[in-house]
Amino acid sequence: MAYAYLFKYIIIGDTGVGKSCLLLQFTDKRFQPVHDLTIGVEFGARMITIDGKQIKLQIWDTAGQESFRSITRSYYRGAAGALLVYDITRRDTFNHLTTWLEDARQHSNSNMVIMLIGNKSDLESRREVKKEEGEAFAREHGLIFMETSAKTASNVEEAFINTAKEIYEKIQEGVFDINNEVRHTSLCFSFLLKPLHSSSVPVFPLFLLSVVFQQCVWFATLPLS
Amino acid sequence: MNFFRGVMGGQAAGPQPSGAETIQKLCDRVASSTLLEDRRDAVRALKSLSKKYRMEVGTQAMEHLINILQTDRSDSEILGYALDTLYNLICNDEEEEQDESEDAVTPIPASGKHKNVSMPDEAMQKQSDDLGAQFTEQFIQDPEHITLILSLLEEFDFHVRWPGVKLLTALLKNQGVQVQGIILVSPMGVSRLMDLLADSREVIRNDGLLLLQQLTKSNAAIQKIVAFESAFERLLDIITEEGSSDGGIVVEDCLLLLLNLLKNNSSNQNFFKEGSYIQRMKPWFEVGDDNSGWSAQKVTNLHLMLQLVRVMVSPVNSPGASASCQKSMYQCGLLQQLCTILMATGVPADILTETINTVSEVIRGSQVNQDYFASVNAPSNPPRPAIVVLLMSMVNERQPFVLRCAVLYCFQCFLYKNQKGQGEIVATLLPSTIDANSISAGQLLCGGLFSADSLSNWCASVALAHALQDNLTQKEQLLRVQLATSLGKPPVSLLQQCTNILSQGDKIARRGSKVQTRVGLLMLLCTWINNCPIAVTHFLHNQENVPFLTAQISENLGEDERLVQGLCALLLGICIFYNDNSLENYTKDKLKQLIEKRIGKENFVEKLGFITKHELYSRAAQKPQPVFLSPEQMLFDHEFTKLVKELEGVITKAVHKSSEDEKKEEDVKKTLEQHDNIVMQYKDLIREQDTQIQELKEQVATMTSQSEQMQTTVTQQLSQIQQHKDQYNIIKLKLGKDSQSQANSQADSQVNGLQTEELSQLREDLEKLRQQHTLLQAQLSDKDALINTLRSETAEGSAASDNTEMLKELDALRSQVHSQATEIDQMKTERQELLRKAEAASSEAVSSSDGSLDAAKMAEVESRLAAQTSETERLKEESKSLSKSRVDLDQQLAAATSTAAILQTEKAQLQTEVQESKKEQDDLLMLLADQDQKIHSLKQKLKALGEPVDDEDDLDARDQTDDDEEDDDEDED
Repeated sequence: MAYAYLFKYIIIGDTGVGKSCLLLQFTDKRFQPVHDLTIGVEFGARMITIDGKQIKLQIWDTAGQESFRSITRSYYRGAAGALLVYDITRRDTFNHLTTWLEDARQHSNSNMVIMLIGNKSDLESRREVKKEEGEAFAREHGLIFMETSAKTASNVEEAFINTAKEIYEKIQEGVFDINNEVRHTSLCFSFLLKPLHSSSVPVFPLFLLSVVFQQCVWFATLPLS
Repeated sequence: MNFFRGVMGGQAAGPQPSGAETIQKLCDRVASSTLLEDRRDAVRALKSLSKKYRMEVGTQAMEHLINILQTDRSDSEILGYALDTLYNLICNDEEEEQDESEDAVTPIPASGKHKNVSMPDEAMQKQSDDLGAQFTEQFIQDPEHITLILSLLEEFDFHVRWPGVKLLTALLKNQGVQVQGIILVSPMGVSRLMDLLADSREVIRNDGLLLLQQLTKSNAAIQKIVAFESAFERLLDIITEEGSSDGGIVVEDCLLLLLNLLKNNSSNQNFFKEGSYIQRMKPWFEVGDDNSGWSAQKVTNLHLMLQLVRVMVSPVNSPGASASCQKSMYQCGLLQQLCTILMATGVPADILTETINTVSEVIRGSQVNQDYFASVNAPSNPPRPAIVVLLMSMVNERQPFVLRCAVLYCFQCFLYKNQKGQGEIVATLLPSTIDANSISAGQLLCGGLFSADSLSNWCASVALAHALQDNLTQKEQLLRVQLATSLGKPPVSLLQQCTNILSQGDKIARRGSKVQTRVGLLMLLCTWINNCPIAVTHFLHNQENVPFLTAQISENLGEDERLVQGLCALLLGICIFYNDNSLENYTKDKLKQLIEKRIGKENFVEKLGFITKHELYSRAAQKPQPVFLSPEQMLFDHEFTKLVKELEGVITKAVHKSSEDEKKEEDVKKTLEQHDNIVMQYKDLIREQDTQIQELKEQVATMTSQSEQMQTTVTQQLSQIQQHKDQYNIIKLKLGKDSQSQANSQADSQVNGLQTEELSQLREDLEKLRQQHTLLQAQLSDKDALINTLRSETAEGSAASDNTEMLKELDALRSQVHSQATEIDQMKTERQELLRKAEAASSEAVSSSDGSLDAAKMAEVESRLAAQTSETERLKEESKSLSKSRVDLDQQLAAATSTAAILQTEKAQLQTEVQESKKEQDDLLMLLADQDQKIHSLKQKLKALGEPVDDEDDLDARDQTDDDEEDDDEDED
């Protein structure tokens, strides 16, 4: 399948907030009530269309447990979007958002689009975090916000697609510097890769894309201290 | 430098200082010298000694070297020496040390070690291995040291980065798990190492590949991070740049790394598939017809490429993942490309073998791919199906053993979960479809079955068994196959021929082991008659079979034959278990009795157990691919091991059970069936109830929604009622005010404000009217008086009649005014009525609003409200009619005033008439006076003339003259 852009996502948040279920709902359109703990990181992918363009989403679903934190940090760099998930029925998962956000901001590039997600919106009766609180948090930290339910699939599609839209807009605005000749630089962010040829499908106009964040080019030219 | 020379010189002649002493001195210098150059020289000296005095340098200098790495980061030269020294200490690979100065060549890591090592060398190697492990352990005791190396890799300088890469590789080789752990948790550790692949200097990129190979070895977490850092993309790019399979060892290293990343890592496999990288593998296999170059490197590369394909579709992967990979391999043409290699000429045997294995796994269990494979033709004349060509190799004893195994695997995979394919294969044996002119798969299998080569026998048996696997139709179809053994003899069924070979196996001189043939045939028979009572009956129908089996089982044979005995027991067991009791001599009971008498139950079960106890059994059970170390070990088939597992228990049970037990069991079965029936009934009932519940739930849902709607309407109505109540309260208040004012002013009361206004207006109007009325009355009385005076004046006047008329009219006016007054009275009374009614209504409202809390009462209130509102309405209407009548009255009043006006004008006319009549009277008086004078004069004249004159007339005249005199006076005035 040919595609015009390739976006890498990561899903982060406390353990048990439904990160894997969100991914499963998005990629397979099904819900698994009993899910094993994610070990390390799991991968999923899907094609979406924005502005008439095919966009491939590669999604890395990370383990929420503290013990995996050092592993999952490796995935921040190079991700164009992050879904930061909490559980609306568990106040503590909301309280931990600041830590997660600090972690993400520290290890990722500043242009990474972060979508805050309050999951399990179907469990209204057990709600502990008001929607307004989520909205306020997102406003305060410059995130996009949505409440979803991986169980009923409510807003799941929108969450992934809206994030992609935001990234796409950033590319259109030129926030991401698209450059062919950056492969050799050691700090190359290649979350947008060139689309692949495929024998059966007509190929989209070939963007030989590799993307570098502007400040990272600047980064690379500085001597390391 | 002097010191260094001294060391070297000392070595050449004179009393030799021991290595340890020299190293100690150098270490002191490294530690204490303040001059960078001094330290640099000392480290360089340590480096040169590090191979010869590895032990000494390692134990004494390690600490100092690490210190250098931490403190002298600004000088890349000293860093380089220190890293080189550490590398020499830690690396165990002699050859690599020698090669270290050469840039481009990267030695093969795995093969390098064991080349030409003689016995003493081996001991030395072992010693150096120990040293390497020891130093590695020492080095990684502090995880910070690994982090240090990682940070040094950021240094772009070749003299730092390259030895850094090599050192880390060596560390990983020696203590993989620990070092992996440290790198994994150090921030961006793995990502930094991935950046090595982007280095423009090939040496570093290539050594980076080796480093990543070590790094990713059996560590899924690291494998995933490396994949996340676009490893697939870069590695595939490098492979393409280097010329794919024609490329050198770099391609091989890339492929090894790819294998590391994908093997047993479903997440990465998914990523690889989703990243459309499968499509990029297709060009690798476009080796085409140029048979010229099959270099050793190309064979190695292609081998690894094929393995990479197999990793993606391995039978041990989850079925869903494999299936989607198989699908995309077909869609992108990879399978077709592999089949081209399969049919190409001049392909080295091991590549061909691996290609067959790869094709096998690409088509296994995938209907589309299996169908495609069945349609592939070999480019021979006439074209033959690829399956036939492959089977020809399988039953050809001159072909390499591994190739024959691969073909068998391919055939098995073709038939796996492929009922259509199974049917097609069996059909080539059936009388109706046999084509004598061409070689068919069935013919080749039969040929293999009865050939003199035991390996062919075994392969053909297993292949045929796979054509029957889980397929009752084909098991029954195959019973129809008849064979013409030799001229003049009646044809024999295939089943019979198989048992014949079993029992008379000794008659034909065979190559290979007899056991292999018999095991193969027994596996075929077991698979065939398993779960197929008709086949069991066919088998038992031959009188020789059961005695043969019992003889085989009961005999006390050698070790070799134990497996055959076990298989015979299994076959007999299946005959019991799947017996439909249609043959009188061989019913279940009779066979069991036979076992008891001739073999003994315990003995039978023990023999049966020989199968699973065989050493090769568990090996075959592990994976579907038939892999055997030697042709003799080719005894078990993977699918057959599953069958044994399934049957062993049930057969043991079946044999142990006595006929009574069986009867009991049958009873139990019957009751169970009854139970089942009951359960089924209950289940149906439950299902029914379920649907009912569902319906009811839906009903409840609709009801609740309805009730919600009702609730909302009720609340709406409640608010309406509240509004009404408020209105009532307002009205009540107003009414109270009105009644107060009524008490004071006797005025009318109304139901609402408008009416009060109207009433007050009416009252005012009435007041006005009354005033007008009194005014009019006053005027009238004035006029009456005037008229009376006039009348008295004109009592004798001619216009008296006119005055009376006027009087009449005035009377009429008066009566009209009277009637108006009475009407006003009526209105007053009506208003009082209204007031009363309103009071009654308000009192009603008060009483009802008091007890209005629950819905029912509310309804009551509502109804009352409605009544009241209607009453109010009615009152309004009444007041309206009242106002109408008031208007009427107004009009009447207006009419009255107008008539009054008319009357006034008439009166004025009358007055003028009176005036006129007065004048006339004056005139008349004047005339009278004149006439009187005339008459008097005439009388005088008559008297004078002597005529008599009446006295009366005189009297009258006198009277007249009095009046006249008066008049005259007036006139004179």
